[in-house]
Amino acid sequence: MEFVDEIIETGGPILGSEHMETLRVCMQCGKCTGGCPSGRLTAIRTRKMILSALLNMRDEVLSSDELWLCTTCYTCYERCPRNVKVTDITRTIRNIAGREGYLAKSHRMAASYVIKTGHGVPINDAVKESRKKLGLSEIPPTTHAYKDALKGIQTLAKKTKFDELIDFDWETMNLKE
Amino acid sequence: MDKKTGVYICHCGLGGSTETEEILKKLPKGSIVKDSQYLCDITEQELLIKDINEKDLEQVVVACFASDVHRSIFKKVGDEVGFLPNLIKIEESDDVVEKIIAALDDLKPIKPEETEVDVNPSVLVIGAGIVGEQASLDIGDAGYKVYLVERRPNIGGHMAQLDKTFPTLDCASCIGTPKMVATGQHPNIELLTCSEVIEVSGHAGEFKVKVLRHPRYVDENECTGCGICVDNCPAVVASEFNLGVGPRKAIYIPFAQAIPLAAIRDPEHCLSCRMCEYVCDKKAIRFDQEEEIIEFEVGSILVTTGFELFNCDLRPELGYDKYDRVINALELERLCAPTGPTAGEILIHGKPPKNIVFVQCVGSRDKNVGNEYCSRVCCMYATKQCNLVREKVPDAKFTICYTDIRAFGKGHEEFYNRMQDEGVIYLRGIVSEVYRGENGMMKVRVENTLMVEPVELEADLVVLSAGLVAPADTPQLANMLNLDVGDDKFLAEAHVNIRPMETRVKGIYMAGCAQGPKDISDSVAQTSGAAAKATIPISFGKVKIGPEDEVKVVKETTATAAPIEKEVTG
Ligand SMILES: Cc1cc2nc3c(=O)[nH]c(=O)nc-3n(C[C@H](O)[C@H](O)[C@H](O)COP(=O)(O)OP(=O)(O)OC[C@H]3O[C@@H](n4cnc5c(N)ncnc54)[C@H](O)[C@@H]3O)c2cc1C
Ligand code: SF4
Ligand code: SF4
Ligand code: SF4
Ligand code: SF4
Ligand code: SF4
Repeated sequence: MEFVDEIIETGGPILGSEHMETLRVCMQCGKCTGGCPSGRLTAIRTRKMILSALLNMRDEVLSSDELWLCTTCYTCYERCPRNVKVTDITRTIRNIAGREGYLAKSHRMAASYVIKTGHGVPINDAVKESRKKLGLSEIPPTTHAYKDALKGIQTLAKKTKFDELIDFDWETMNLKE
Repeated sequence: MDKKTGVYICHCGLGGSTETEEILKKLPKGSIVKDSQYLCDITEQELLIKDINEKDLEQVVVACFASDVHRSIFKKVGDEVGFLPNLIKIEESDDVVEKIIAALDDLKPIKPEETEVDVNPSVLVIGAGIVGEQASLDIGDAGYKVYLVERRPNIGGHMAQLDKTFPTLDCASCIGTPKMVATGQHPNIELLTCSEVIEVSGHAGEFKVKVLRHPRYVDENECTGCGICVDNCPAVVASEFNLGVGPRKAIYIPFAQAIPLAAIRDPEHCLSCRMCEYVCDKKAIRFDQEEEIIEFEVGSILVTTGFELFNCDLRPELGYDKYDRVINALELERLCAPTGPTAGEILIHGKPPKNIVFVQCVGSRDKNVGNEYCSRVCCMYATKQCNLVREKVPDAKFTICYTDIRAFGKGHEEFYNRMQDEGVIYLRGIVSEVYRGENGMMKVRVENTLMVEPVELEADLVVLSAGLVAPADTPQLANMLNLDVGDDKFLAEAHVNIRPMETRVKGIYMAGCAQGPKDISDSVAQTSGAAAKATIPISFGKVKIGPEDEVKVVKETTATAAPIEKEVTG
């Protein structure tokens, strides 16, 4: 299967195939790269990534570091004149890359926090402070408040093999190596 | 369904059908189903007539792709056998068997009941831009009467707002004004400004037309355009003709070369001081003028209602509504024009701009705002505008940020080449955002796609190359005239390749930007063609019409509340 079709097929069941099909009509205008806040500081070149996908450069795209530099801010997605669903396509490519063992360390790290705490970004003092200011309870009604729910999340992680995907070590409760 | 039926499936667009047997099974005894290569071919039609006569067919269905275009082709069949084949449009995605059987369920016989009627030797032209003017001149020169209806107080349309025109850099006034003057003076052209068509009925050869004429509050025939009233009027508002770049008075003459050269009073901003009446020695001011309905008949109608400029606020990331250093291209034309509000001096914050960035494809080629099409003129007008500004600010630098440069017209590629030679930088990439930097200058974020590098350009003037969109009231206009509107929201032609100036209604034609964006050359070429089309039935004197050619009266109209100029300039 061509890489383009693989991306569309992978994202289809969750995001809708029409949504994913928009990948095919990118006209290479660069509006996405031009406004990408991550690209100002990092090496991500959104349009080039889309073009590489269109040209079926599977290995290059899946193994590239820039794939993980998108902040999923959806700026490109909102502005694209051809309505290419850029960010969702990027996320889908990441899913494929993840399955192939290309998950970036930083993303594996964030994922390990989900297993450990139920949150990709666990609460800290600053957040607690802001919550108080906004009139919210200091601790949100999530695994932070309901410790038992964390067990459920960990069971899910095992059942879906999410732990294997990110190389999680249950002994050390950390990433392997 | 008991009539002996002939079903003919044409290969056009379909490649024929393999299911003729299946269809036949569902038809009454004595019916036939045939696969035909080219039914529009004369020999095939003779075979069709032979079938009908020999096999006593009582009804005939033709399934083809281009059913809209081919209706008239089967006239010969109708003449010979007394009824016309029913045409069914089949598209590739259709289930041929299902569609044909469904259509057979309630098939109405079509009798070739055309009647011949006399043609009124006059034409209604709606919209007096360059396209409406040229058509009126051609038809008038052919010796026929023209009613030219224009909503604004003056004719000339967008071309009157331009400084110079690509690809030759002719002064727009120098080539446009003579056309306006000729239109205003032509003995066969009746000019109805401040006017809108509000009702049309009848059919080709004899359309009945109602026009609403808004009050100008000045007698057009008495006024000499001396401007004394304007000088003395105390009420000042922004000028629509100059897109708000300069002021005008409550009584005003839109621009010096306006045709008709007459003042117009805008009651919304008038202070009722009656100074104008006091100073006018021609006694031309008419405070008591009222709306007027004018009725007449014409043989043909030509729609030349042009375009509006895309509203750049719909792309908020480009900062058009936020920064006065971001302007649209038509505003730049007014700034460059010697007839403009600054007499051609280009000043931004009091200084001539030195670093100008053009943003291409604003509101065109953009599904996000619902305009999928290319506006066809903005690549060239941006290229032209670099030249216009350079004439006044010789040391200015220009960068045109583009998606693709479309320079397909005669002389366009050469012009593009020339401006590159003169130092204009073409940077391939669509601008993503514009914002103000700390030094007050604009920052333009864009990817230089050929270098695969996002960059930030600094500019003291950002020009948005706004696209051409259909006038906002096109759906109502189409409704009134029984016309179709296309996916691009412009008026739809009968067939884009072979009947581009005709509409679905016999006797109603269109030309220029009303049909879709195009430059002046293409607009004028098309309009002379449409004028010829509109005069064919007139010069012949008679036209054949059927029941389907009657225009249904639609009560909803495009008429706006006065003052008239307001929403037109875009
Ligand atoms: C910034 C800019 C620069 C350009 N520069 C060039 C150039 O250098 N060279 C070139 O070849 N082309 C240029 N063009 C394109 C050019 O302007 C068009 O090709 C041309 O004006 C089309 O003429 P038109 O008569 O079809 O439309 P318009 O000029 O829009 O005229 C339509 C007329 O119809 C009237 N009207 C609309 N609706 C109604 C109604 N319902 N009832 C009555 N009246 C109505 C309007 O008031 C208007 O007067 C430029 C366009 C823009 C926006
Ligand atoms: S903005 Fe859309 S069309 Fe343009 S390059 Fe990016 S994905 Fe392609
Ligand atoms: S969603 Fe990702 S690629 Fe798109 S603009 Fe944001 S960071 Fe850049
Ligand atoms: S209305 Fe009278 S004063 Fe005003 S321009 Fe016409 S003639 Fe002159
Ligand atoms: S009456 Fe109205 S239009 Fe006339 S001078 Fe006074 S403000 Fe101007
Ligand atoms: S003419 Fe050029 S600027 Fe205008 S829409 Fe087409 S490609 Fe874009």
